[in-house]
Amino acid sequence: MKHRVIRVLVGKAGLDGHDKGALLLASRLRNAGMEVIYTGLRRTVSQIVTTAVQEDVDVIGISILSGAHLSIAAKLMARMEQEGITDKRLMMGGFIPEEDIPRLKAMGVAGVFTQGAGFDEIAAFIRDAVAAKDRS
Amino acid sequence: MPLDQQTADRIRAARTAWEEGALKKNLQRMGLAASPVEFASPLDIAEDDFLERVGFPGEYPFTAGRFAVPLHHVIWGRGKTLGGGKSIRHAFGYAGYGTAEDMRDFYIERGRTMARGGGPNIAFDLPTQTGYDSDHELAEGEVGRVGVAIDTLKDFETIYEAFTGETDLDRIASNWTINATTNLILAMYVALAQKRGIPLDKLRGTPQNDILKEFVARGTQIFPVGPSLRMTRDTFTYCREHLPNMNTISICGYHIREAGATRVQAVAFAMANAMAYFRVAVNAGMSVDEVAAKATFLNFGGGMEFLKEAACRRAARRAWAKIMRHRLGAVKPSNWIYRELGGGLAGFWTCTRQRPLNNLVRVAIGAAFAAMIGEPPACEPPYDEALGLGHSIEARQLAADAARIIMEECRLGDTPDVLAGSYYVEALTDRYEDEIFGLIDEIDRQGGAEKAVESGWMKNEVLRSAEDFQRQLETGEATVVGVNKYTEADEIGVMTPRTSPYPVARREQAEEKQIAGLRRVKRERDPRAVQSCLEKIENAARDERANLIPHFIEAVKAYATVGEICDTLRGVFGEAR
Repeated sequence: MKHRVIRVLVGKAGLDGHDKGALLLASRLRNAGMEVIYTGLRRTVSQIVTTAVQEDVDVIGISILSGAHLSIAAKLMARMEQEGITDKRLMMGGFIPEEDIPRLKAMGVAGVFTQGAGFDEIAAFIRDAVAAKDRS
Repeated sequence: MPLDQQTADRIRAARTAWEEGALKKNLQRMGLAASPVEFASPLDIAEDDFLERVGFPGEYPFTAGRFAVPLHHVIWGRGKTLGGGKSIRHAFGYAGYGTAEDMRDFYIERGRTMARGGGPNIAFDLPTQTGYDSDHELAEGEVGRVGVAIDTLKDFETIYEAFTGETDLDRIASNWTINATTNLILAMYVALAQKRGIPLDKLRGTPQNDILKEFVARGTQIFPVGPSLRMTRDTFTYCREHLPNMNTISICGYHIREAGATRVQAVAFAMANAMAYFRVAVNAGMSVDEVAAKATFLNFGGGMEFLKEAACRRAARRAWAKIMRHRLGAVKPSNWIYRELGGGLAGFWTCTRQRPLNNLVRVAIGAAFAAMIGEPPACEPPYDEALGLGHSIEARQLAADAARIIMEECRLGDTPDVLAGSYYVEALTDRYEDEIFGLIDEIDRQGGAEKAVESGWMKNEVLRSAEDFQRQLETGEATVVGVNKYTEADEIGVMTPRTSPYPVARREQAEEKQIAGLRRVKRERDPRAVQSCLEKIENAARDERANLIPHFIEAVKAYATVGEICDTLRGVFGEAR
């Protein structure tokens, strides 16, 4: 098993300004030894994907609480495909109704984490996803 | 009354004897190392002077209540008596979704029975709040989602088709949850009134307009702090001259609390922000009494430790009275209280997605404590807050009934402040007041809230508190039932039906319809008139002394869009970081 530093992009897509979850996650993943790039508020899908390519991250984590998660996930997946970076795992978190989670997963979102998800659980998920990717 | 020495000595001796006797024996028998409870005595408030520290309700320092009779005994949050009002289905409350047509139809369908003179309390979508048109790349997926979409005056005209005749603009008060683009919304309201021939001095309403807390907590700021506060000044001075019956600002602690602040931080930061706004007004030539009379507050938020929440709210009343009277020098006693019709002590962030009906228990107990200190017993949010955008009609019904039960069955509002004189609560109240002033003094040292916001200090402090609470959740130091404790492998699903107040299908079609509507307006308007208005805005924006609102009014009348006007301003002011 390779020991390398996992790189994670934490992003706020769309216009939602609630960043407590994103900022807490960024700080916790850093404490867990990961390299975290936080995009700041109000990023377009193309800005996020460009940053993901430039920073060569393993995982893109999008926090969204405005209800725009379905259309943003669709756009992100399409854009990631265009850029040929579907090997990077897309994760989403925030205010996402239960019934939308299967729809997000069907689009190719690797993991969806909502209120009450533990940060340890998220970090473990990222480690597993990256390990699986490195093996393949 | 201050304790005389002899009485104090007797109580102190008795306390020592109690600690070494009854208390110690109890702890030993129960196998406890330390007591899980505290008991306060007159010793804990030894400096107490009733008139100086508590006073009668509605009198300085307002610790026991801002009014002799709490306002909610006559005005309930939604404009109705608690018991005699219509069914919750007819209450508007804070609402907004879809296109302007959707919203107009929503208002017409629900009848015109709502709060504060029958006007709407409008939620706007995020593109409108952050100054982008519905066809902007960033707006995709957001149009009409968390509120109604407004691109041009046409949208405002459409919404207000639901408000004519008995509910025309001179008969109602409108509430707008809008911050960075407040002055555009005000300009649209003025333009609409002028088109209808309604005198501007008849217009009543409240824009939120609290931009500093957007930087700290809510994240819809557009421009840097300086130009943002200049636009706040424009609201103050324009309204003083033209809209004398319009409230100008609603200062919020609630969002700051929701973002993770402690109870003391939420109160202190909201008050420091308020002081910054009032300084802006004073620098523009207004008196503190003048600006305060048109300022309202939107709550300080809440949390689950209700004895502490209640004490902190009482401390807030006293702290604000001291600030207004002694630090800012307001002369009118009515300006020594913060005007708000919020209430409830439980907060929204405390609501869980797990076992959601527990949320009703949480907010109802919080509302019971609110009633006991003379605050409106608002059982907010409805229990399904954490499940998705918007509350079901059933959840709102339960929330409204909970408040009615608190007031009319339990009669917890029979005295405005049942906790007054409780040694424990008074001691906590004193402590919180000291802590509130400690933070306000710290912010003063930094040069005021405008500086503490601009430097990021305030936001960082909030984030540190959020991290601390997260740690408590993970270590089990703090309990959330059904989340980090008392969880079951085999959970029982307990839910009520959930009927959306909005036609869901219409919301899903809103983006397409809104963009088509925007294109139609753009085709039909005079592009040269728009261009000329935008140039005037640009020139005025470069002149710090100019008030932009008259230029906004002219521009919205020419059907310039929210995005075009904000882009023009972004070109001059730059963008918030």
